[in-house]
Parts: sequence; structure tokens; C-alpha cells
Amino acid sequence: MTKYYSFTFLLFLVFTNAFAQNKYTLSGELRDSSSGETLIGALVKVLETNKAVSTNTYGYFALNLPAGKYTVAISYLGFQSRNIKINLDKNVSLNLKLAPKSTIGKEIVIKGEREDKNVRSTEMSRVELSGEKVKQLPVVFGEPDILKAITLLPGIKSGGEGGTGFYVRGGGPDQNLILMDEAVVYNPSHLFGFLSVFNTDAVKNLEVIKGGMPANYGGRLSSILSVNMREGNNQKFEYSGGAGLIASRFCAEGPMKKNKSSFLIAFRRTYIDILAQPFLPKTAQGNAYYFYDLNLKMNWQLGKKDKLYLSGYFGRDILDFQSPINKNVNLNFGWGNATATLRWNHVFKPKLFSNTSFIYNRYDLFNDFKFGSNGFNVRSGLNDWNIKSDFTWYAADKHLVKFGMNYIFHTFTPGIASGAIGSINIDQEISKQYAHEFAIYALDEWQISQRWALNAGLRAVAFNRVGPYEQPEFDSDNQKTGVVKKYGINESMAFYPRLEPRLNVNYLISDESSIKASYTLTYQFIHLATTSGAQFPVDLWVPSSALVKPQEAQQVAIGYFRNFRNNRYEASAETYYKKMLNQIEFKPFSQLFFNANLEKEMVFGQGEAYGLELFLKKKVGRLNGWIGYTWSRAYRQFDQLNQGQAYFFRYDRTHDMSLVISYTFNKKWTGTFVFVYGTGNAVTLPVARYPYRIGYDAITNEPKFTFIDLYDKINSFRLPDYHRADISLTYMHKKTSKWESAWNFSIYNIYNRANPYFIYFYPDLDKLEVKAYMVYLFPILPSVAWNFKF
Amino acid sequence: MKNLLIPILFLITFFSCEKEISITVPPSAMQYVVEASINSRFPLLNYVFISTTIDYFKPDLSLNGVKNAEVYITPGIIIGLDTFYNLANRIRLYSVDTIAKIIPALDSILGPFSGVYMNPVQLTGNSSTAYKLDISIGNGTTIITAKTFIPKVIPIDSFEYFIEPKNGSDSLGKSFVKFWFYDGPERNNYRLAVNVSPDSILYGWGACKSYRTFDDEVLNNGKIPYTFFRPFNQGDTLNLYLSHIGRKEYLFWQSFGKADNNGGPFATPGTVSSNINGAIGSFTGYAVDYKQIIMK
Repeated sequence: MTKYYSFTFLLFLVFTNAFAQNKYTLSGELRDSSSGETLIGALVKVLETNKAVSTNTYGYFALNLPAGKYTVAISYLGFQSRNIKINLDKNVSLNLKLAPKSTIGKEIVIKGEREDKNVRSTEMSRVELSGEKVKQLPVVFGEPDILKAITLLPGIKSGGEGGTGFYVRGGGPDQNLILMDEAVVYNPSHLFGFLSVFNTDAVKNLEVIKGGMPANYGGRLSSILSVNMREGNNQKFEYSGGAGLIASRFCAEGPMKKNKSSFLIAFRRTYIDILAQPFLPKTAQGNAYYFYDLNLKMNWQLGKKDKLYLSGYFGRDILDFQSPINKNVNLNFGWGNATATLRWNHVFKPKLFSNTSFIYNRYDLFNDFKFGSNGFNVRSGLNDWNIKSDFTWYAADKHLVKFGMNYIFHTFTPGIASGAIGSINIDQEISKQYAHEFAIYALDEWQISQRWALNAGLRAVAFNRVGPYEQPEFDSDNQKTGVVKKYGINESMAFYPRLEPRLNVNYLISDESSIKASYTLTYQFIHLATTSGAQFPVDLWVPSSALVKPQEAQQVAIGYFRNFRNNRYEASAETYYKKMLNQIEFKPFSQLFFNANLEKEMVFGQGEAYGLELFLKKKVGRLNGWIGYTWSRAYRQFDQLNQGQAYFFRYDRTHDMSLVISYTFNKKWTGTFVFVYGTGNAVTLPVARYPYRIGYDAITNEPKFTFIDLYDKINSFRLPDYHRADISLTYMHKKTSKWESAWNFSIYNIYNRANPYFIYFYPDLDKLEVKAYMVYLFPILPSVAWNFKF
Repeated sequence: MKNLLIPILFLITFFSCEKEISITVPPSAMQYVVEASINSRFPLLNYVFISTTIDYFKPDLSLNGVKNAEVYITPGIIIGLDTFYNLANRIRLYSVDTIAKIIPALDSILGPFSGVYMNPVQLTGNSSTAYKLDISIGNGTTIITAKTFIPKVIPIDSFEYFIEPKNGSDSLGKSFVKFWFYDGPERNNYRLAVNVSPDSILYGWGACKSYRTFDDEVLNNGKIPYTFFRPFNQGDTLNLYLSHIGRKEYLFWQSFGKADNNGGPFATPGTVSSNINGAIGSFTGYAVDYKQIIMK
């Protein structure tokens, strides 16, 4: 505990430092002049003092300066810089608009970044992408996907061919906090993991924090993926959309009151169900699969100090299945997320900005099964009520203080089954689980000197698992004994208070290079119950309890950051070490769904990950893009698995490389090339087999039996290496004042690499041999998509 | 999870390809495997099959049975909470090789089943009785033991079938079958084996067409319906073997079913649970009820 007290004392010193001089505050908001969208992370720099600040998530900034005349330079990649002269003899508020640069010509840029953030910010292990950039990347099925796009960044690995799951620095898929306008998205995928729930038409930008997590974030061990939705054009009405091979999108946006309020509504739906019908046999005509999602956002400027945002998401995957061999058997299976976020920005004083959010999010799964006059349905899922208040205090010219609180009420629904089989009514429910999660935090971004900067923070969290809850008791054979332990309303079942210190340090070597280091301690109180590497709709989230301790991770990272040629190129080399405790795995063949004794299926252990990440990015010019390389190792160790010996984590990938190059040929044509390479995933393969369940078929006069596989060491084999190259070409039609459209032609896997999806074995009884076959999912796969805007 | 297989298979069917690859798997340590069963109705289904594990890519797809073992099954006497096994009551099971020598006509049938031990003349199982299995291999260098219990028989109460007319014609087609049994208030575990054959005699549990292991967690204490989703053909003779089994045996066959269907992209490597000491496998006591349905 000594380290916590020391850290708290340090923070106290920082916060109580007497900042006050006779200074004034320059504050304001930055927006895109063409759409009215706020600009996140733009640089506001006072040339005379060299002091600078970035705009926050809402485009707001503030600087404390002595009275005087100043030139304020405002810059943002992809936008025309502006220099504003001000006379600071009182608090000054600037609400400025930046005009986008022409996308054709010398200054082709990746939009949406502060130019020297890579070097000057204390933040490290952090990457950003704009929705616009994601759309330029080659795609499968003509559908741009941000979760696939982020796996092209160093330190973030994809789960494998086609999937949207991602793995950060040796962490599992449930250790990533995925936020859409601050609302948690528990299952980020459609189509069983092949596409993500994020409609790029509605996405403004995204940020991934894979280490050095500041104190205002928490709840997951490995990373934060924060996706910000666009606000909608507050200048004019615009309609955009597109059609790919499997889905179409439409987005409408416009001002409700010019410059004051705007809306955005975006809809996407697949037409796999319609396209597949002609190819289905008559007996399967009743079968259909589709997904859709709806994004909605509105915002209102309620005066000079207040702004209100309302955003929401609703998405569903639906599978209707009628058995081709028994038309009395029907399955209606669906799942999806719903989120709603109400945010209130308030400027108390120019120095004190706040955002308060009320958030509701839900993930649910339904499964209606009918056979003849019988039928039952099963429901499961979880929902959160979440209130969050964040304050940014531009305390002094060297201090930017953030503090706030977050309270979440979790409700987990492991399973409700109802229906009737014959004359027997089924009405069963696994007791719902409730938990309170509370956090307060404070951090200080302290510019200690010209060279040294520090971001120190402390997050205090508490998780309280509470009743009402009925815990049935089970015997050693996993059979109910009939004894049920009952917990009353709000009765504490397990309480975990924890402190999470966070520290980021930046030493500026020169204007173009710096060394950064970070330390974080994080806890995670809710866990995904899955036996597979991918996330599935039936996977359940479970809360910590007396038996299931919170997951814990400590991470240290150190890196060298260097920009070249006036910030046109940026490079970094980061190395990290992460130790994880209370990691969860499930026993082989565990029953995860509708299991009241799920905790007894769990085993607990630890994990370790380390690696080196190299990154080089060219941000401007006709030719731009990046190359990233990661060398890493990730292990797990469980006393009850693998004879207690450490083994490679499923997504341990020694080498991982990605290359993304975009080139603008002329006003009409743009091309993007992507190459990825990764060491094959670690897999467990059978080492032996044995015959079992023997019999004699008296009709064929042949013995009958089944071979059962026997496994030994976990993840001791490697799938073949993964690599592929993709290319896309975008053709822009001549733009008119009212209409613009573009065709995107993509070829996925241009050299037709057979990348492993899974391996299976087939015993050839005639030839007396067992053969291994590798199934690969996507051969060379061309696709086309059409996008429009008017 | 099975619900997900349909669309996933759809995707894989539409887009996936496969190719043969070469994988090197090191030799593994040999382990003994025992499949032992005793039941209350069919003496031919009382047998013990002893085999060994086989290196995965070894070109040997035989049963790999173990000969020359000494195999005994002893019925137990339950007194209070204890079960006593009297050596005087033990029954020796003989290798099918020995039986084939005595009855040469069976040689062609029993030939492939080296490693199977049985004694249909002396060994009959009884309900509510415990049994102990003792195996000695290599003159006692390997000792394998196991225990099981045959619970009381839970009979199939009734059944019905409905033959669906073929589309637009008067001819008959698929047969949909349902049966009922009475499950008591206690916790019960079941294993259902189904065979489609005019022959009512079952030569080993592996001869059946399908299997299901289930318990009464959801449907308990009442007249329980069992509906076959998959229809049979008109004219089929359906042989139903509904066995009431113990919990450990249930856990074994449940994990066995998962191991048997474990494949594809989301396969979970796992080892089946075992109630045998010194080997992999199960000694299962089946309280069997049998019903034959001819769907005319």
C-alpha cells in the first residue's frame, strides 16, 4: 500500500501547486467549416510562448496566458491552418472553423490528427484512424470495416481469417473495452464475427489505447477502442450511402437549426437472405440470415455554455431456420446490441469544461425453437445503466487536470427458458446477477519543463456484486443438491475495492523526437465466458464473485518517438511487458450456455506478454501510408491445465507485420495496397486416437466404432504463417455541386494465398492413413462497392 | 452452439476451400483404453473392450485390441452405505478369440474384435446392483479397476408415430416418432441408443445409428415426451434402448459425445472424463428398457 500513498501524495502536491497568477483564459471550440463537425485533437498553439493544447473529444480547448497580444496558430491535418491575432486583456473565447484542404494536389493527407502529437504528447501506445481512412482500405464483400482496419496497426492482432476479433498485447478479446459514443458494445460483430457493428458512414474517428491507459479510462485490462460517431452536418442537408456485395448503407444528415443543431441517421442492412434464395433448394427456402443496424445522433447548442448530444445504436442479426428434413422444426435466432447516450457538455468557466453522460447499453440474445406443437424460447444477455461525469480543468499553463466519476449498474441475464414440451410447461430461469461498479479518478497532465512532461493519475474503483440472487448448490458430480443459498436485495456477495495508479512520462529530446515511458495497473470485473478464440453471440458475460476474482494487469512500456520532415513522417519504437493475474479459462467441453454452475467450469491462472512494436507512417503526399512490425510473446499458465506448465496464448504471434500504402494517381483514381504477415496461431492438435463405442453391423457384416482424439500439450503446434496482399482502386466520378459518387474495386488476397482457418483430420479407412486438411476461407476475392453523396 | 453451425457451414460452403497438408506429430505415450458395459437385459451387451491409444498418424485403423488380459466382473452386495465385493462371486470374462476357438462359426464375426472380453452365459446384470471390474494385463504389471451401478429400469411408457403423406400424393413418406417415459422426482440420467434394423439383437452398443445422453435438469418428475426431430422412413423398424445410468457414467458419455462431434473451426481440444482407474474410458451400468416400433 505504501506505493499508493506515495502516489496519492504526489498527486496532492501537483493539484495544490499554486497556479494562480493574473492570467486570462483563451478558450473555444474548433469545427470543420464544411460540415460543422467538431475537430478532435487539433493543435492550438500560441506562437509567442510556444504553449500548445489539443482540442478534446468535443472540439473544446483552453489555455491560460498572461495578458498580452498573441498570435494563435491552429492546425489540423487535412485542414487549412489558421493564424489568429488576439489581444488577451480578458478571457477570450474563439469559436473557429477550419476549411478542409483540397484532397487533390500536393497536400494529400490522412485527416484528423494533430501534427506533432506523436512526439509531444505524454500519450503512448495509442493509435487513431479516421472513418474516411477506413473507407479507403481494401475490403471483403465491399463492406468497409473498422475492426479489420485497426488490426493493420502494430500491437493489435486479428484473430484470424475473416474475423473481427482483435487481440492487444497478449490480451484476450474480452479485455478490450469497445465504446461507441461512450456506450459499451459487448458484442462488436455481425455475421458470426465476419463484420463489425460499426457502420463507417456514421463513424467520425476511432482511437485505440493499447497501453499507458490514462486514469479516465478503466474497466478492461488490455485496450480501449473508442469510436466517435459523426454529429451530422449543421450547415446543409446531405445524403450518402453505398452498396456492396452483401449490404447497402444509407445516411441522412443535416441541420435542425443551422449552426445550432444537427442530426444524423444511418442505416445498413445485408441482403444475403435475398441473394441466397435462388441458390437454396426448395426445402430450404424458408431459411434466411440478415443483419441490420441503425445509428442515430442529434445535438443541440443550448447557449454559449451548454451543448447536448443524443446518440444511439440499434443492431440485430437474425437467423430464420426451417429444417429441410422436418418442416415442423423452426428456429428463430437473433442477437444484437442497443445503446443510448445522452451527453451534456457544460463550460462552468472557460477553464473548467465538463461532460456528463447518461448511458444505457444492452446486449441480448433470443432463441425461439418450435417443433410441431412444442416449443420453447431462451433469452440471455446483459444491460448497464451508466452515469459518467468528466471534468477538464485547464488549471494553469503547465497543468491540465482531469477528474471525474463513473457509476455502472450491471444486470446479467444468464438464461431464461420458457415454453412447453407436450403437456409439460418449461419455466426456468438462472438467477439474474447484479453488480455495482464505481470509479473516481484524477489525473494531471503536467508540463514540468520544456523537455519533461508527466501524466500522472489515480483511479479508485469498487465493484460490489449484490443480490437478489439464488445460488443453487451442486455436488461433485455437478448435480443440484436441492440446497439454494439466497441473497437479499443489495446484499453484498463480493466486494472488491481497488486502486489503479497510472503514469506516463515524456522526455522531449528535440522538437522532433522524444522518449516516453508508462506504467499502468488495471482491473477488470466482468469476464467473457467463451471456449473459443472468437466471440460468439451465445457467449456470456459474467461478473466477478467470491470465487471469480477480478482480473489484474500491470504493464510497463517505454518507447522512442521521432518525426521527420516537418511532421510529415512519424516513427516510433515501443517495447512493453505485461503481467496478468486471475486470468480465466474454461475446462474442456464446458457447458457455457444455460449453466447455473458456470463458475465451477472455470479455472484460474496468469498470463505474461512482452514485445517490441515498430511503426513508420507517412502522413502527407500523394503517396502515404504506414508500415508496422511487432515481435511479441504471450503466455498463459494455469495449475489445472497443461500439467501446470506455461503455454503459448492462442494468439501469440511472434512476428506480425502490416504495410498500408495509398496513392492518389489523379483527381479520379486512388489506390491502396495492403500486405499483412503474421506467424501462425498456436493450436492444440491431437497426438493420439483410440477406438471406442464398438459394435458389429449385422447387415453389412462390418465392425463399427468411433475414433476419439487424445490431446496432450496445449497450443504446442503452429498453424502455417498467415500472409496476404489486398488492393483497392477508387474511381471518383466528376464531382458536381449536387452529386458525387465513387466506385471502389477491391481484390482481397490477390495472390490467392491459402491462409489457415482451421485444420481437420480424416482417417481414410481404405488407404489406412490419417490425412490432415487445412480449410482456408477466402481465396482471391474481388468485390465492388458504390458510394454516393448528394 | 449447434445452432451456429448452420450459417457458419453456409459461409464455409460458399467461400472456403481446403487442401491436404503435412503435419508432424511426435509419438505419444501409450495408454490403455477400456470400454466396459453391463446391463440388466441383454447378455450380449455385457462386455469389456480393452485397447490402447494409437499415434495419430500411424497407419493403423484397426481396433487395436489388447489380448491376453485377465478380466473379471464382480457383483457387489450393498449393506447400508457400503458395498462389498466377494471374490467368490466374481465372473471371468473371456476373450472373443477364445470363444471363437470354441465356436468356430463365430470366427468370421468375432475375428476383428480381438480385445473384447465377454461371458454371456454366466454374466447377467441386475438392476439396483453394483459391479466391480478388475483387469490384469501382462501378468499383473498393469492393473485396471472400475466400479459402476445399474440403477432401476425406467420403462418406455408409450409411443406414437405419424407418417406424413408425400407432397400432393397419396403415397406415404416420412415417419415422425415420439415416445414417453415417467421420470421420478429424483435426479435421473439417461442414455438413449437408437438402431434402425429389422434385427432386434444388438451386437455392441456401437452398432446403433444414433445416441443421446441427457438428464432431467429441465424436464423432471412427470410423463416426459421424447420427440425425434429427424424423421424416419415409412417401413423402418426402430429399436429404442432407453437406459437409466449413473451420474459419473452420464458425465463420461456426455463428454464423449462432445469429443465425438468436436471438429471445425471452433473445436475445443479436450479429453473425455473417465471412471476407470488406470485407463481411459468408462464402465457403464445400463438399466435398459427396449421397445421396437415398426412404422408401417
